[in-house]
Formats: sequence, structure tokens, C-alpha cells
Amino acid sequence: MKLRKYSWLLGLVVTLAVIIVPLVIFWPRDTSAADPVIRDPQAGLPLRSQHTDHTHIITGPFESGQDVTFACLECHPDSASQIMGTTHWTWESEPFDVSWRDEPVTIGKINQINNFCISSQGNQKKCMTCHVGYGWEEDGQYDFSQAENVDCLVCHADTNTYAKGDYGEPVEGVDLAAAAQSVRSPTRDNCGMCHFDGGGGNNVKHGDLDESLKFPSESLDIHMGREDFICTDCHRTTDHVIKGRLIVDNYKVDPSEQVACTDCHSEELHDDDRLNAHVQSIACQTCHIPAIALEDPTKVYWDWSTSGQDLPEDHFTYLKIKGTFVYEKDYQPQYKWFNGNLDYRYLVGDTIDPSQPTMINLPAGEISDPQARIFPFKVHVANQPYDAVNNYLLQPITAGENGYWTNFDWDNAFTLAEEITGLEYSGEYGFAETWMFWPTTHMVQPKEDALQCNDCHSLEGRLDWTALGYPGDPLEWGGRLSK
Amino acid sequence: MRKTQKTDISKKHRWLGGLLLAALLIAGAAWAGQIVLARSSAANAAQVSPLHPTFALLDAGGQPVVESGNPVSTIQTCGSCHDTQFIASHSSHTSAGLDELTAPGETASQRAWDISSGYFGRWDPITYRYLSPEGDERIDLGTAAWIMEYGSRHAGGGPATTSRDGQPLDQLIYSSTSPETNIVDPATGELTPWDWPESGTVEMNCFLCHTPDPDNGARTQALEVGDFKWASTATLLGTGIVEQAGDGYQWVADAFQADGELKPELVTIQDPTNQNCGLCHGLVHDETDEPLVLTGCSAGIDRTGTSGQILSPERISESGTNLAGKGTLDYPWDIHAERQVSCTDCHYSLNNPVYYQETDDSRPDHLSFDPRRLEISEYLLKPLHQFAGSQSAQGTLASDTADTMRSCDTCHNIQATHNWLPYKERHMDTVSCETCHVPKMNSTAYQQYDWTIIKPDNTPQSECRGIDGPNGAISSLISGFEPALLPRIKGEASSQIAPYNLVTSWYWVSGDPERPVRLQDLSRAFLDGETYHADIVTTFDQDGDRKLGAEELVIDSPEKETVVASHLEGLGLENPHIKGEIQPYSINHNIVAGDWATRDCQTCHNGDSRLSQPFKLASYIPGGVLPEFVKDSGAAAAGEVYRNERGELYYQPDTGDADLYILGHNRVAWVDLLGSLMFAGVLLGVGAHGTLRYLAAARRPRHAPEIERVYMYTIYERFWHWLQTFTILGLLFTGLVIHKPDTFGIFSFRGIVIVHNILAAILLINAFLSLFYHLASGEIKQFVPRPYGFIDDAIAQALFYLRGIFRGEPHPFQKTPRKKLNPLQQITYFAILNVLLPLQVITGALMWGAQRWPDLAARLGGLPFLAPFHTLIAWSFAAFIVMHVYLTTTGHAAFAGIRSMMVGWDELEAPQTPAQEETPA
Repeated sequence: MKLRKYSWLLGLVVTLAVIIVPLVIFWPRDTSAADPVIRDPQAGLPLRSQHTDHTHIITGPFESGQDVTFACLECHPDSASQIMGTTHWTWESEPFDVSWRDEPVTIGKINQINNFCISSQGNQKKCMTCHVGYGWEEDGQYDFSQAENVDCLVCHADTNTYAKGDYGEPVEGVDLAAAAQSVRSPTRDNCGMCHFDGGGGNNVKHGDLDESLKFPSESLDIHMGREDFICTDCHRTTDHVIKGRLIVDNYKVDPSEQVACTDCHSEELHDDDRLNAHVQSIACQTCHIPAIALEDPTKVYWDWSTSGQDLPEDHFTYLKIKGTFVYEKDYQPQYKWFNGNLDYRYLVGDTIDPSQPTMINLPAGEISDPQARIFPFKVHVANQPYDAVNNYLLQPITAGENGYWTNFDWDNAFTLAEEITGLEYSGEYGFAETWMFWPTTHMVQPKEDALQCNDCHSLEGRLDWTALGYPGDPLEWGGRLSK
Repeated sequence: MRKTQKTDISKKHRWLGGLLLAALLIAGAAWAGQIVLARSSAANAAQVSPLHPTFALLDAGGQPVVESGNPVSTIQTCGSCHDTQFIASHSSHTSAGLDELTAPGETASQRAWDISSGYFGRWDPITYRYLSPEGDERIDLGTAAWIMEYGSRHAGGGPATTSRDGQPLDQLIYSSTSPETNIVDPATGELTPWDWPESGTVEMNCFLCHTPDPDNGARTQALEVGDFKWASTATLLGTGIVEQAGDGYQWVADAFQADGELKPELVTIQDPTNQNCGLCHGLVHDETDEPLVLTGCSAGIDRTGTSGQILSPERISESGTNLAGKGTLDYPWDIHAERQVSCTDCHYSLNNPVYYQETDDSRPDHLSFDPRRLEISEYLLKPLHQFAGSQSAQGTLASDTADTMRSCDTCHNIQATHNWLPYKERHMDTVSCETCHVPKMNSTAYQQYDWTIIKPDNTPQSECRGIDGPNGAISSLISGFEPALLPRIKGEASSQIAPYNLVTSWYWVSGDPERPVRLQDLSRAFLDGETYHADIVTTFDQDGDRKLGAEELVIDSPEKETVVASHLEGLGLENPHIKGEIQPYSINHNIVAGDWATRDCQTCHNGDSRLSQPFKLASYIPGGVLPEFVKDSGAAAAGEVYRNERGELYYQPDTGDADLYILGHNRVAWVDLLGSLMFAGVLLGVGAHGTLRYLAAARRPRHAPEIERVYMYTIYERFWHWLQTFTILGLLFTGLVIHKPDTFGIFSFRGIVIVHNILAAILLINAFLSLFYHLASGEIKQFVPRPYGFIDDAIAQALFYLRGIFRGEPHPFQKTPRKKLNPLQQITYFAILNVLLPLQVITGALMWGAQRWPDLAARLGGLPFLAPFHTLIAWSFAAFIVMHVYLTTTGHAAFAGIRSMMVGWDELEAPQTPAQEETPA
């Protein structure tokens, strides 16, 4: 009887189903483009830690930086040892087996050359301003196991309260207690204190990391501008182990240690199939970073050979201690195949051919390498000293005592360096051209400003197809993976 | 034994055969190489053009120019390898109408002074100077003057070398009255002879299109001063091959090798790029590092001026234009330009073996692709300079190459990308791709040209559309414009909506046969040197400053018209009067990609549809003369040109005139009026009837009758009834939304259309199944009225409803499971189910099927008939439902009827007397 009473309901449901089911089945689906796989990029962001105000936790006063570190270690006992295991502390990579040496080598600021200020060995007085520790001096006997020498403040203190000076010690006049009380998660300013000014000035080195990123606009960098990302949003850090490796100071990089766009973004997120197809051969950065040094110019050429003369000085063109420079703004990157590793990294003592440019680092990758992508690089060209008899690059003492920046005497600078670096100086020096490749990965533009088809696939396109290994423009010849 | 011998011999033969084959191959390669490849491999390696061999520049006599110092002859030079006679005689870029000359007035344009449909002979009111036909007394442009005036936009050859009756121009016999051998002296206005041997003629200029940086400025200048034979040479200035020396040209000896051949590094012959085409056809901006700057309409009649089309891959948001809303427009000016599809990829040479494909009509059924084609070498010898093109409104020449370009869908997969669009095929048939894919022109274009007056510099008044502020000022805001949508005639009876810009011009004509007033006459009618005639000033001056400003130079009163006409008559012109014409200019470029194209159904399917949006033609009407559309544009003028209250001229398209019925936009007013009156009437009627019944019943004593439960409706009958109910209600609702989308803007038009179609399909299936059921079970008999005594019974039933029901009388008819319907019900349901419903289904099916069976739908009247009919029946159904639901309440209890249709059991009043039984309606 109860069923009978509600039989009308069943009838209603069946009737409505006969209408609704066909509606659902035959509703036309937009099957035009394969639905781009959109992941919510926000979902990939790490959680930012809650701020804990240290004003009442830390009292002070502190006499030295090490005293501050001791105080930190009271509550954060592992932090120092965590730092000590990272390259921020050791300035040295893991040992690599390289084909041109019999034994494994390590690469880092501690022992290798670049084509900016050349070498930190013997120049610790100035160079260690950017070491994450205190008191690393020239004698080369720095005790890497002393936990209290770890500088917590450089990354964690409010940058308005703290600065490092010679040998990495806090600058005179810094109120260490105030700095210690101001500690919080590192901001762009903290990282930028060193990374924006590498090479001796704002935007000298990277090109895509400079002080304009302190208050970036949306069109300067979409992540740091519109989304107000801090460095650790991409360079995820767990227990002070920071994700991300600079290819300049490595030889091979484990992809799991490297930051990638795909950490948050899906790989095929363009609506247009043609654009998605580019992902197989082009790195995201290539199209999405059309130019760097958008506000502050970056150094692209450094000629040491003209240094030492009493010419009018200007930060952008000539300094007596350093030589002649060329800066460039709106720098259009150069493009090479890159699979994340290097083919070659100049090691101290490697012989050079002074008539050819020497590659301080040479990105690995070629058209036939499926892991390689066309990647943008900032190329810094320098004219730096080399031993004319032994044909290797020399590491002068510049900032160190009695160095070149005091005496303007190259011979002396190289001789003094002999003991520290072990590089024998023949007595004759010359200047050779060197190149260094710095990967471009910051200053990502909004997608509306990405490169367009004609930026590469036209007569004035920015890619040199034959240099990259293509027979011609792949728009006409087909891509490297197409049949 | 014999076998071995044979083998030995055949081996030997094989060896010989191989040698012979190799020899043949080498010889063949060498022979082909002579034709196509470089003469020496060393030269090959050093050349800028990868394949083109170096060649000697020859003059008209065949001598190397570096020796003779004469102008270069492309026919001779390029003719050393290519068949230049063939090329020059098979190209509308050169002939420009010369091979289609008619007597004046017999062209498709039907203007009395046009002698062809091409650039040579078809008048353009924007440029105004006209080519005088033979026999005219007043000559405006003769052939020489035509070359000087218009030669910059002509590729040379054709009328620039050949006379109208096929003679070489420099061998013409002089005639004192012929426009071909004379030129009007600008100072005296008299005809003076033109020295053709001195000036030379303009050969087809290969360098203009086939070199990367032709000096078009120098070439134009050479033409303007009458230095015709030097035009091709002037094109090469800047390449280092020739230099200017004083008034003439000097070949640079250093550019040539000993035998008169160009040095290999100076050979830059190339396929035409967009830049080459853009020299004449419109603005091409390829530079990636320079923003495009637009400040308004530029002079000239290229595509950019007349329709605003700009070929640039640059994003609009990155251009240097003062464009309204520029920041949001982050798409390229033209998507194909961005994707590196160049002009020649679509407008290819018609015998180019790479692009040539036989059309479906002529290809045999068993072939999908015929691979046999012209060899590249044969093509290079005789490349057809007829280019693929579709019919454009203004490009009236070359009608034999019209529609040779494949349409959008030979490259694009329209089916896959338009799955979201209901009635896909119908849209593709009726609406051209450009209509939705060029929703707006973000640039300026001409709006009107007023040659009824003239400014002191001999230019007319003109106005630019899409710009707020003075033309040419960087501060003027460019707002762009939405193109006018007109039907483009495709075939006999079909047309397609396409976007156009409409340029309206007014000008004076006079005489019989009619001719436009020559510029020199117009100038003299207004001006004396550079000052206006006194009476012109007094008539036109509005603010009393004795000077004529731009706003005052308008013929907006009969007096002004008269004073100008009298001056023209004073010059000897008979019957001068003002004429106006509207020229549509096709818009096919500046395509936007899918995201930016029109996707909102309500853009067209709305009371305020884009398809009937008025398009401004002019901001004033000189002389009050309403212009007419030109006759040869291929665009149907399906609308009205009208003047609004501010004196502006507008074009109002009429979709009805264009034989279009747009759902949601078009409607027949009387159908809606009649239908809503019916609906309202029924609603009022049942409201009144019900109220009266209620009042009557309240006054009558209640009595509880004896109830008998009878199983009246089977489960299938009920299912069929309710399914029909819901689908019809759904169809009525969705139909109403489709009919009036602006009132129901909250719904997605596309979604509602899809729901309507699916519900209709369900209803159709339901109807067929129930028809089968009723026939098979014999239930159909219930619906068929028995003729005997039918009228009496019907009247009795009607009287019951009108009178008896108020008095509490019993129903005249007893309802039984075998006789469920009273006479009135029978005729009503019969009409509904067997007349109205089928008609509604058929009209609906034909409306849907208009895309699948367009001929059938068209034969039955097409949408303009089917749709209003469908609407009328829909109103009838709506009225019926109100009545039907009401009448179910006339049973013994208000909801007894409806309940019985739900549960199947009906409660009938037990018969009081044997003859009388209740019959609820």
C-alpha cells in the first residue's frame, strides 16, 4: 500500500530521467583543443612559516656576531650544522669526475676562477662580505666546523638593521641586538643583499637579479611583482637545504635539486596546441623572459687590461682598480641548447689558447639531446690576466693586502698569489678573452608579454638556427623531433 | 653450358647499361643544371640569393647597361631566362583592365565614364582623376598622365607600354585629340603632345616585387615627372648598382663584372615578401623592435586607408597608437602575420606547383590528390603572375581568378574547432569566417570623401572613421570601428554575410554623356589661383570672417549648390549636379584568434543584433543628395540609407531584405500580437469561469456523491502524457527564451538552443511511439469523433460548460475506460495531436534541418516563413495548455482529474440514474 501511494513519485522520476539523461549525453562538448592540463599553480607553493616575534625572546647585548649565533643556537640547535652542510657555507661543490682531470674536483668560490673579480683566494677581506659566516681570513685555515661562525643574521635579520663588512664580520655600528630581535623568514632583501650585488655592484653578475627586484612591478617579474613571491617560494628550503643549483659553480646538477617551472606549473598549459609543442625543445624561460636587466643595466664586458690608469672614473665605464666595462640594459639573452649540466668548467690550472675566447663554463646540450632545451643565457665577456708562458689564467690578489688594488702592480699581485693558490707565475702575463654563461631565469614576464612567433621565426628572428644545429627555420623544415 | 654463356653476356651488358645510365643521368643533370642552377659553383657560394644566378642587366636593345648607359629593360634582362612576354601578358597586376576595355558606360559598375573593371579605366572617387575615354572633348587624364598619376600603384607593363588598341605606345601615330598621345598642360589647360619616344614606356617592374629593398620613392618620382623609361632603373637606387647623377642615372661600373653581369654579391632576387606587397597594398609592419604608430587615415587608396587593414604580427597592446583600451588588446594585429603566413602563402601564383591543387569539381571521383604537376624549372620559366584571390568588393578586375584562393577551411579544421557552436553548418553557410573573426577594426579608415567642394590645395574634404580628434594628430584617440555586415553574393541564390568598410563619396558630374567634373575645372570653379572667388566666399562664409574654414566648406543649402553650379556652367559644363556613391571595401585580414573572435551568441541573436546595427556613412550630406551603392561590388545593399535628425547619413541593414531570419532577432509582429492575445484571452476566460464556478458552488448545498473507482489510464498512457507535458513545457519555455533573448538575458543562448533541440527530439520519439501504441492497441478510436449525432453532443457539452456547470448539473457524458473523451475533447485533441503537433514538429525539424537540407527548407519558404509559423503554433499550444489544465478541474473534485492521470484510478460519481453518469472533462 505504501508503494502504491508513492508510485506517482516513481513515475515522475522516470519521466524526468527520460528527459534529463539524453540532455546530459547529447550536450555538445568543446572538444576542439585537448584540454590543457591546468594545475593550480598556487597549490605548488610551499607554506610560509608564521612569524614569531623575537623582540622579547632575544635580549642581548651582543659583542660579536658569534655571540648572536650562540644565542640562536640555544633554541635552534641544529640550524648551524644544517648550514654547514650547504654550499652557502662551504663555498665548494660536491666532488665531480671530469674528463680532463684524473681525480675528482670540487668547484666553488673557494677554489675556482670566474671572469668578474676573478678569485676569492687571498681576497677574503672583501669577498667574504658575502660568506654566510664570520671571520674567514686569508690564511686559508678557516675552521669550517665552528658552528658559532655561522652568520644567522645575514639571512634572517631585517636588512635595514644589519650589514656585513670585511671578512664577513658585522659592520661597525650595527646594533646586533636589534638585528637579532628583528629575525624572520628571509625576504627578497635578505637574499638580495648578496645575490643582487654579486661581482661588485648592482646587477653586475646575473642580469636577472638586481635591486629593482626589491619593489618589482608586475611587468618586471610576474612572480615577485604581482604575486609578491619571496625567493624561498621557488627555492624551497627544508632544514636550511635550499633548492636550486647555479650551473656556474657545478658540473652536473641533479634535477631533483634544481628549481623548475614545472614545480608549480603544468607542462602543457597553453591553450594553443602549437605552443604546447614548443615545450619539447624550448625552455619556458626562452619565451617568457624576452629580456633581462630591464631597469638596472648589467655588466656585459669587463676589460681588466685597461685598469691601473688614472682616467676619469665612473661606475659604469671605468674604474682604476678594475678596468673598462660595458653595461647593457634590456639585455636580449643568447640562446644555447642546455640540459642542465656543463660540458666544461674552467678549473684553475687548465691551459688556455689565448688567441681564442676561453669558456669559463660551457653549457652542455645539443640538438640531438632529448633532455636539452634551447635556453637563454647572459654572456659576460672579460679580458682577464693569464700567464703568458704557462698559458693558464691567473688569480691575482686584488683586495688582499698589498694586492693590485693597493699597488696596481700585476706582477706583485700574481707573485703574492703563488703561495695561496699554488699557481706558479712565470713572470710574464697577458690578457685573454674569457666568456661566462649565466642562465637567465628570473624577470619572468606576464604571459601577455611573452615572445611571439615572429620573434624567432622571421628574418630578424633572435635565434641563429644553423648555430643551434637546425638546417633552417623549423617552421619550414620541421622541428628536431618531427619526422 | 649455354646458360653460363648467357649469364656472362648479360653481366657484361649490365655493366654497359649501368655506364650508359650514369652517363645519361649526368648529362640530364647538367642540362637541367644549365637551366636552373648557377653557371659556376664559385659564383653560387658567394651569392646573396641562394639559387638565382648572376645575370647581365640589359637595356631595351639587349646591350649591357653598364656599356650603353641606357635604362634597364626588365623584359630583356629577366627575359634572358624567364619568359617575360608570357609573364607580362598573363597578369592583372600589369594589364589592369587593358584587355577588358569596353565602350564607356558598359562596365559592371555602370558608370558612364568607366571603360574597364580594372585600375586602368575604373574610376575611384577617392583619387578623383579619371582616365578619359577616346573621343572625349574635355580630357582629364590621358594615358601618359595616367601613368604619372597612378603609375606608382601599377606594376608596369600593360597600359604603361601598350595602347588601348594593342599598339606599343612609343609607336603610336600622333592624333591631336587622342588622350593617348596628348597630355593636358596644367598651366594652360590645353592639350599638348606627349613625346613617347622621349619618355619611354614603363615595363613590368620585376625589381619592385622581387628585390628586398626597392626604392619605391625614387620610382614614384621618376613616374611623376614623366621619366617613364627610367622607372625600373630608379627602383634599384640604394643597392649600389646604380646612382643618381645630376638629373639622370649612372650605372656603377664597380657593380658589374667584365661581361656586364652583376657581381654575385649584388644579386638579391627573392620571392616577394609582405614588405613588397605592402608597397602598394597597405601597411605592412614586420619590424619586431619598432612599435607601429598610427595617427589616422593616410592618403592613398591602399587597403589600410580604405578598410583599416594592417598586416603586422605585433601585439596591439605593444603598438605606438593612441588606441582606446589598448592595454587589454594583447593579441596581434593579424594572427596570420604573427604565425608567419605571408601574402604569397595564400595569394600564390596560380601555377605554382607547390600550391596548385585541382578543385573538387574538375577532379575525377577516384582521385583525392593528383600528384602530377609542373616541374619547378618549367614554373620558373613561365610563372603565372595571376595570383589566387577571392572576390573582393573593390577588386573588380580579374574576375576569372576570383574565388581561386582556397577558403579558410582548406587550411583550418573548422569542424573540430567549432563543436561548441549549435547549427555549425548553417552558420558556415550563412556567415563568412571573417564576420566573427574580425569583430572590430582597431584602426582608422576612410569614411567619406567630399569632392563637391575643394580646398585651396586642390584636395577635397574627407573624414576618417574610428578616430576622435583631428586626423593625423598623435593625440587623437583611435577608437576603431565595427565593420558593416553586408551579404556577399556567392552564387545564384546564395549569399554570405561578410564585413566591409563603406566609403561614401560625393562629386560633381556634368554633360551628356556624363563625366565627373575634372579636377582642373572644379579648381577653377572655386578658386582663382589660391583664393576663392568672391561669391563663393560670401555664400559659404558663415562666421563673417571672409575666410572659408573647413567647417564652412560644405554644400548644405540650395544657394551654395547653385553658386557652385553656376561657376561650373560658366566653364562650359552642362547640367552640373551632385552625385553620391557608396563603395564597400572587403575586410579579409586582421583576423583574430579564437579567444578574441565573436563567441557570444547574443551578439547577433538578440533584439539589438550586430547584423542590423546602423553604420555611419557620413557626418553631413553634401547637397542633400542620398548616395547609392556601386553596382559592381558583389555586396548586396540590403538595407536603407537614411538621414538622421542631426543630418548624418547612416546605413541601416535589413535582415529581412537579405532573406535572413535570425532567431532571437527577427520576428513577425502580428504573430506575436495574435499569440499573446490568445494566451491572455484564455487566461482571463478560465479565470472568470473558475471564479464564477466557485461562487456558484458556494451558494449551492453540498452533497457527497457516491464514488466508484475505475482504472482509467494505463501506465503507458500516463507516461506518454507526462513526458509530453514536460517536454512541451520545456520547449515552450526555451522557445520563448530563443524568441526574446534580451528579455531572458540571464540564460545562455547556446545552452537554451541545445536544450530545445534535445527536448524536441525526445518529444518526437515519444510521439511516434505513442502513435504506434494507439494504433496497435486500438485506443486511437477514442480520439476519433463519431459523426452521427456529433454536433448535438458537442453542443450539449458546450452548454454544460457555459451554463450547466454553474447550476451543479451532472455531466452530459459518462466517462468510461473505453470512452474517455467527450466530443469537445475529441475534436480538440484531434486537432492538437494530429494537426498542430505535427505542424510544429515539421516546421521545427525544417528549421533545424535548414543546414542539412537547405534546398528543402528554402522551397518551403525558408526560415522567414517557417519560423513565424512555428511561433504562432507555439502560442496556440500555450493557450491550449492553460485551457486544458483548467478543464481537468471540472470533475467531481478539483484535482480528481489530474490525480487520475498520475495514479491511473479515476473516481467517478456512481450513476444517480441509469442514464446519467458523470463525465469529468
